[in-house]
Amino acid sequence: MSPKVIVRDLRKHYDGVEAARGVSFDIEDGEIFGLIGPNGAGKTTTLECVIGLRQPDAGTIEVCGIDARERPLEVKQKIGAALQTTALQDKITPREALALFASFYRQRTPVPELLERFGLAAKADAYFDTLSGGQRQRLALALAFVNRPELVFLDEPTSALDTQSRRDLHREILQMKADGHTVLLTTHYIDEAEALCDRIAVIHKGTIVAAGATRDLVGRSSALPAVSVAATQLLDRQTLSAIAGADDLVCDGRTARFHTADVNRAIEQLVAILSARGIGITELHVQKASLEDVFLELTSADAPAAEAP
Amino acid sequence: MIDAFLQQFRASLRLHFRNRMALVYSYLFPTIFLIAFWVLYRYDRVPLARHMGELLTVTALGGACFGLPTTMVSERERGVWRRYRLAPVRTGTLLASTVASRYVLLVFAGLLQVALAMGVGMPLPNHPLDLWIAFSFVAFALLGLGLVIATLADNVPAVQALGQCIFLPMLIIGGVAVQLSSLPEWAQHVSAFFPGRYAVEAMQSSVTGQGLRVMGFSLVALLLIGLAGFLAGIRLFRWDAEERFARRGGKGWVAVALAAWAAVGLLAESRGRIGPIEIVTEYAGEPPRPPMNRTPAPPPAESPAPPAAAPGSASLPPLSTPPSLTAAEKAALAKDQPASKPSAAKGEPGKPAAPSPKQATPAPKPAPPSPQPATSSPQPSTTGPPPPLPEPASWQAVTPAHIDEIVFPRLPSDAGVVSPIAPLDETIDPDVESDLEEIRSRLVTWGPAGVADPVQRVRNVLYVAAVPDVFQMPLERYVPHIVFERLQADIPKDDLVKVLFWVATHPQGGDDSALDDLRSAGLKVNGPGDIDQTRERVMLYALKLLGRLVGKIPQ
Repeated sequence: MSPKVIVRDLRKHYDGVEAARGVSFDIEDGEIFGLIGPNGAGKTTTLECVIGLRQPDAGTIEVCGIDARERPLEVKQKIGAALQTTALQDKITPREALALFASFYRQRTPVPELLERFGLAAKADAYFDTLSGGQRQRLALALAFVNRPELVFLDEPTSALDTQSRRDLHREILQMKADGHTVLLTTHYIDEAEALCDRIAVIHKGTIVAAGATRDLVGRSSALPAVSVAATQLLDRQTLSAIAGADDLVCDGRTARFHTADVNRAIEQLVAILSARGIGITELHVQKASLEDVFLELTSADAPAAEAP
Repeated sequence: MIDAFLQQFRASLRLHFRNRMALVYSYLFPTIFLIAFWVLYRYDRVPLARHMGELLTVTALGGACFGLPTTMVSERERGVWRRYRLAPVRTGTLLASTVASRYVLLVFAGLLQVALAMGVGMPLPNHPLDLWIAFSFVAFALLGLGLVIATLADNVPAVQALGQCIFLPMLIIGGVAVQLSSLPEWAQHVSAFFPGRYAVEAMQSSVTGQGLRVMGFSLVALLLIGLAGFLAGIRLFRWDAEERFARRGGKGWVAVALAAWAAVGLLAESRGRIGPIEIVTEYAGEPPRPPMNRTPAPPPAESPAPPAAAPGSASLPPLSTPPSLTAAEKAALAKDQPASKPSAAKGEPGKPAAPSPKQATPAPKPAPPSPQPATSSPQPSTTGPPPPLPEPASWQAVTPAHIDEIVFPRLPSDAGVVSPIAPLDETIDPDVESDLEEIRSRLVTWGPAGVADPVQRVRNVLYVAAVPDVFQMPLERYVPHIVFERLQADIPKDDLVKVLFWVATHPQGGDDSALDDLRSAGLKVNGPGDIDQTRERVMLYALKLLGRLVGKIPQ
């Protein structure tokens, strides 16, 4: 089966700044694809070009087998999108907004079904300006589903939500996948991408610097495992610097953290040093390289700007 | 697409009526304007009829220059349109439904204006269908302008600034709030380049004039300005506040919109269509006339020669300047009904109330029974007019036969609003009575009441009765008695009969400088700006006092 989205060499610049410098990626049918990157990396620009909010300067975009640059209205019939923030008129109600936007599409989901699914039934006739942030975001998602979309684009959907609303939304996104939808998600929350996405592309300075399955990306990391310790007494740098091979040592009160290539040996030395001084260990953690490490590695100031996906 | 259009159209209307500020701007402000005009022109005999063009233009201008772009820009600024852009909705569909809903809102506001005006006494417009068509042309032109403003302005404050830059000049020197006739010549030239004056002309003509058949130029001007505005507005349309119009050849399209204004102005200049257009053209050949059956008089010696009356018409010398009575008022006059009563001007349902020029002519009908049938005038139209008497060459040459030609019963009722006279036995309010005493005593020594020429002297004294009538002052109904006393005391009866006849048949004659000295005569005002109206009232009072003097009107 051909990919749902094929983007090749997408370029877009504003006022002399190149926001996208030859972005290329594919999204397979039925997967959740994450586009992650620091603020200003170009992920929103890329997404907006794909969904027809912006005209790219160059490149090709194919969505559901349709040339998005040539036939944007056709593409819009097949996709749904929720932007970082969704603004509607203050005095429109969710029921009216859903009916209005549904009228723009050939395929339509019944409004009561959407209200029910996105937990808006109780607020169906409340004005938009009385809805909470979470309710607005749910309405934005409901709007993305008015046309039974094949493909859903979510731009930083949880950035303005509280913890509970984020968890609810994560469940909803996983449900989308279970229902057979393909999802493109942009986020700067690494844990969110790690928890939800099948594949990830890291965008940095307008270019995709890494792409692939989450596990593969972590495996490709050159970051060392981290050791964290909490003790019964204050820990100082001078004491712990005796551990051979401990890099990036940070002491903070009764806790300390360092990276090491040889975890077993470092822990042996740590236990020996603390025991000799009569200091008890209350917590000890070893963490292998995470997506965050990969992300930081790829997007640090001196990281390479481009790598083939 | 039609479903999308209708849904968006309905949503726009619904949201408008939920927005308090929008309601204030759309309906409260125009109502305040209407009340202000009503107060300002409270002495008009038919309330607001002469200002509906201005009022409706202000309403349309407000809705188009502020209402439409404010809504559009605030929605764009907040990102509402970005959400729309995610959907497969065409720019044209969104714009068409937005503009269509705004047009409906403007029509609501216009109807409210007309209904309010009719509520305070304005008759149904002469040509309601023409008025709707004219209003639609005006809305088209101004909504096009509103679209351009919406595309140029980056935010709502910019809409206000840009809107005011267009709204205020149009109001003040564009022939909208200040009538063209009050503007200096240079401003009249400037106004030819603004759509406002064409809007006022087209709608005013539909309310009190001949409708749109004489307003071709105004309609073309509005159409041209509207087309250019819409073209530029569509080309400059932007979904996103960040898309600056300057990047998309914006300046060029703004130039297109402005070029239409320039083209209309230049066309008006080339056709000499700069000065004020007389809207009440329907009445231009129909001056108010005394109810007489006379041939046109030769130019009187004391006044500039008035234009000849229409051949074959039985009338007095017509006014040389545009008359101020509307058709409805004249119809009321012809029927001996108080002119300002709305019911007098209302016609059959679905039919314009104001009569055509022909209808407005005092009807050649049998006069109602006169208290003194022996001296009543003949009924010329039904029985065939007698050979007209030769026009008297001077006031001294007036004969009883001339007086006999007057059909006194056709004069407005003494109990009406036009030229009222109180019954002699009516109890007078003490405050009014003291004012009347003041006038009575001052008239004796008032300079203009002692000028050598008896015709001018009578005319001057009659001004003292006419002006309170024009201003509808509380004492208007009593002053004619004082004036009558004064004239009878001053001028022998035989002479006074002739002079009153002369004054009545030469309403445009003589000098009106006494109007500036009425305070010396004990009035609290001087003469109004509308001299013609005052002269009409002088004519009517001259006839009413004449009728009393010769015993054809009971005291």
